Amino acid sequence: MTFIRALAGACLASLCAFVAPAEAQTYPTRGITMIVPFAAGGPTDVISRIVTSHMAQTLGQSIIIENVVGAGGTTATTRAARATNDGYTLITGHMGTHAASVPLYPKLAYHPEKDFEPIALLAGTPILILARKDFPPKDLKEFVAYVKANSEKLNAAHAGIGSVSHVSCELLHSILDIKPVGVPFNGTGPAMNALVAGQVDYMCDQIVNAVPQINAGTIKAYAIATPERNPSLPNVPTTAEAGLPAFQAQAWNAMFAPKGTSPAIIASLNAAAIKALDDETVKKRLLELGSVIPAPKDRTPEALAALVKSEIAKWSPVLKPAS
Amino acid sequence: MAETMGHSATATRNTSVAIGFCLLAIAPQIFEFIWSIGTIFGWGAGRGPATVLISHATALFGGAPAVLIGAASGDTKKASSDVLLALIYSYPIFAVAILTFFMTIRSAQDYVGGIVLMALALFALWASSDLQGMRGFSFGAGTAPRMFGGLLVALGAGIALTGLLADGPAMAHYSWRGPMFVMASIVFFALAIRPLGVVVSAFASFLIAALGTHETRWVETIIVGACLTAGCALLFPYVLGLPMPMFPRFLVQ
Amino acid sequence: MDIFANLAHGFAVALSPINLLMCLIGALVGTLVGVLPGIGTIATVAMLLPITFGLPPVGALIMLAGIYYGAQYGGSTTSILVNIPGEATSVVTAIDGHQMAKQGRAGPALAIAAIGSFFAGCVATVLIAVLGAPLTKLALAFGPAEYFSLMVLGLIFAVVLAKGSVLKAIAMIVFGLLLSMVGSDIETGASRMAFNIPELADGLGFATVAMGVFGFAEIIRNLDAGAEMNRDLVQQKITGLMPTKKDLIDSTPAILRGTVLGSILGILPGGGAVIASFAAYTLEKKLAKNPSRFGRGAIEGVAAPESANNAAAQTSFIPLLTLGIPPNAVMALMVGAMTIHGIVPGPQVMQKQPDLVWGMIASMWIGNLMLIIINLPLVGIWVRLLRVPYRLMFPSIVIFCAIGIYSVNNAPVDVILAGVFGLVGYWLIKHDFEPAPLLLGMVLGPLMEENLRRALLISRGDWSVFLTRPLSAVLLAIAAFLLTLTLLPMLRAKRDEVFTESEN
Repeated sequence: MTFIRALAGACLASLCAFVAPAEAQTYPTRGITMIVPFAAGGPTDVISRIVTSHMAQTLGQSIIIENVVGAGGTTATTRAARATNDGYTLITGHMGTHAASVPLYPKLAYHPEKDFEPIALLAGTPILILARKDFPPKDLKEFVAYVKANSEKLNAAHAGIGSVSHVSCELLHSILDIKPVGVPFNGTGPAMNALVAGQVDYMCDQIVNAVPQINAGTIKAYAIATPERNPSLPNVPTTAEAGLPAFQAQAWNAMFAPKGTSPAIIASLNAAAIKALDDETVKKRLLELGSVIPAPKDRTPEALAALVKSEIAKWSPVLKPAS
Repeated sequence: MAETMGHSATATRNTSVAIGFCLLAIAPQIFEFIWSIGTIFGWGAGRGPATVLISHATALFGGAPAVLIGAASGDTKKASSDVLLALIYSYPIFAVAILTFFMTIRSAQDYVGGIVLMALALFALWASSDLQGMRGFSFGAGTAPRMFGGLLVALGAGIALTGLLADGPAMAHYSWRGPMFVMASIVFFALAIRPLGVVVSAFASFLIAALGTHETRWVETIIVGACLTAGCALLFPYVLGLPMPMFPRFLVQ
Repeated sequence: MDIFANLAHGFAVALSPINLLMCLIGALVGTLVGVLPGIGTIATVAMLLPITFGLPPVGALIMLAGIYYGAQYGGSTTSILVNIPGEATSVVTAIDGHQMAKQGRAGPALAIAAIGSFFAGCVATVLIAVLGAPLTKLALAFGPAEYFSLMVLGLIFAVVLAKGSVLKAIAMIVFGLLLSMVGSDIETGASRMAFNIPELADGLGFATVAMGVFGFAEIIRNLDAGAEMNRDLVQQKITGLMPTKKDLIDSTPAILRGTVLGSILGILPGGGAVIASFAAYTLEKKLAKNPSRFGRGAIEGVAAPESANNAAAQTSFIPLLTLGIPPNAVMALMVGAMTIHGIVPGPQVMQKQPDLVWGMIASMWIGNLMLIIINLPLVGIWVRLLRVPYRLMFPSIVIFCAIGIYSVNNAPVDVILAGVFGLVGYWLIKHDFEPAPLLLGMVLGPLMEENLRRALLISRGDWSVFLTRPLSAVLLAIAAFLLTLTLLPMLRAKRDEVFTESEN
């Protein structure tokens, strides 16, 4: 650990020795800015805050979260891609900004693989298939049959183009080979409001917002699109158990640095992130949110690079015809 | 009601109004040309000035009439964006400018106001012309902008018409000093805040804005400006915790 | 009754020293944020969110709530003093409030705004406690069709509140609607009229346009040759600080009606509070014996919208507390604050977190009390600010606005855009167009388009939904009625007979 930090510091010092002799110490010598491409209080923001507050202790410097919203997170990601690669500007990207955006936005000003150095996968948020509480089907098998038979009449809600609920619903629809009417809402809140009020029939959404509604019986959940059941919803079966194993989706959140950031800095940030994920309080808080914490083998920068590659490959065929 | 005003209003010379409209008709083209000069120095991306000049000139004088004739003979080839600009925006305004020569303007305030609104709406119609229209029963991205654009063209024409039919106030007097220095101050602040920080850009902008009136007393202005800058430098980054640079970048590093 | 036990419990929570302190901090920061032009509540709550990390959850939420309704008090201050509405909800306050300030009656205007807000806040707090659960149904009864009709009604309000030509007012609304189309399309994600400028990808910000057409345009206009005379006059005219007996008598019914309208409309997610302030103003103007006073410094024109927007700010907590669904961006941040503390609000939050819910409700009443105690003495200080010579005042306003706009997105382009809108606003003034309907069109435009398209998607293109759904039909009927009421006198004679002295 000390070795890595010394190395990182040395590297940085050589980078900017002539600009700032004062900074010739170990990385980091000043506060780090973490760009979060979504509004404060959203799932990505909350996960970033929980993890970075622990990482700040490890690194001995504050990590300031800067929420930059707009265009499905791509505004912020573009800014991060163009930031100085000195390790002081990082970004928490997610499945939308670093995978689904590639097929969704043909004029995207960055490429998730070419413009970023992966640091570490932080946490994933499982996706659920939800429906209004008086929707006729009783389980996922009936749901599939019903939706296929009535796809002309049904309305699927989503939280706006490029949102997790939109892209995951597109995946579900492509698996079922149907094209129902997608009703866009401006964010998860209004979409959930419409589902609770019964104005739309079903939607796919992240677990965080849905748990209290499911527990209160105002909406119902058919399945969770992860390999395992989630402790916060023990009664909701997985898609594999319920008969739709092809539908697997998770809103993963991960930390990236601009391309060209020195490997030593990446290593030190990765180590700090892993340490945070192993911390009991951090773990507890993430689990309370219904998040899935990645297994140790999935926490390396290489594993994240592979994930980004496979996710782009996964979403491209699903989202291409839509845009 | 405004009989006393009405006569003076007719005195507004139509020629100057008509020439103004002619300029308005090619304002976007002129703007793009000025913008394109920047590309010579490597600022921003876009077409070079020569390309801009040639393509707009051909669109205005050649391309658009060709498309019009083509449309008349049933040929529906897709026109380029420059040609569309000439067709949707420039030609109607030119037409209005020509008509203006023969009109008796009874309220220049309303007439010019209405026409400029019309121009804005036509420009919006052009800007949204590449967007998709209705798709079956559902709206496309371009449906609503075109709907409201069309509505604003009609409303602008209506307001201009009242300026022809009813007596009303003439053009109001514009001053240049206030707008110019206030704008300069705002633009300076926008360009300086990132590289120079709050302290320098706020103080300099304060002084530039103060040039906007002849009432300014410099000693007093400099003292107040310095105090205000100090206050802002404490208030915004510290009390409210807004992330913004304080001092010039080259000094900090 | 259960309610009394709950409220007693809530007060026990809210009156603990730490929570009282949090409430006070929230109220103070809220007032400050409201007063500073450009800096919105959303930005501030987002900025302060990380600070709440280290606080106990109840205290944190009490503070954030305090900022939210505190900003409603502060927001009226800049509207009245310098004609710069900081929030969409205080646009109407600027119309008559600033006129009052020009007549030397800034003190009474500010005081009545604070008094109206306090009364409305108290009533709305009681309403949340007593009727919160049943009123939730209203939030659920509003589907896309109802929202569309509500937005149409809102735009009709904007026509009514204009004081000049109806044609020009409608043109301004449509201009505002067109401006609101800039950005990305909600349904297809296509970029509309953004000219590949990244800062326009999500549309024009409210603060950018409002600072431009109100703030900067007003400054430029005041710098015109010949305007010095009027300004000096204002400074000599300043009279009493507190409202007279007549002011209070005039405002009382306005405050009552504003509170009722605001409380009801505030429950509706999205745009409810904005429409509430416009609706309250329109109602006063229609009920007034002499509507021509409006727009020229009528105290009811300040009292009604200010009461309405504060009532709406309070009742907008209802969907959050009873459904667990945030009705607007600030509430979404509150949900974020709760999730950071491990509380995920849902329909059962009232049963599961009584400390939080009832503590917050009780703190709202305490917060409103603190706010009026803070704000009434401040009136004197604000009015004294008007005595600062304009040659020093206007560069200061320019700087405050510029920093404020920059801070919203950290985007220099926004500052330049605001400047451009300043010139647009100057041009509008010169051609006798009013900026208020433009802003209303801009705020309501996206909501109207979205809900129209949503309603048509769900009905599969059947336009009759707007008339077959009873709530929607009622709203449209009110809109049609109001429109005829406005257009009728125009057909008979020119609407505005009072001819203002020519400024040339």
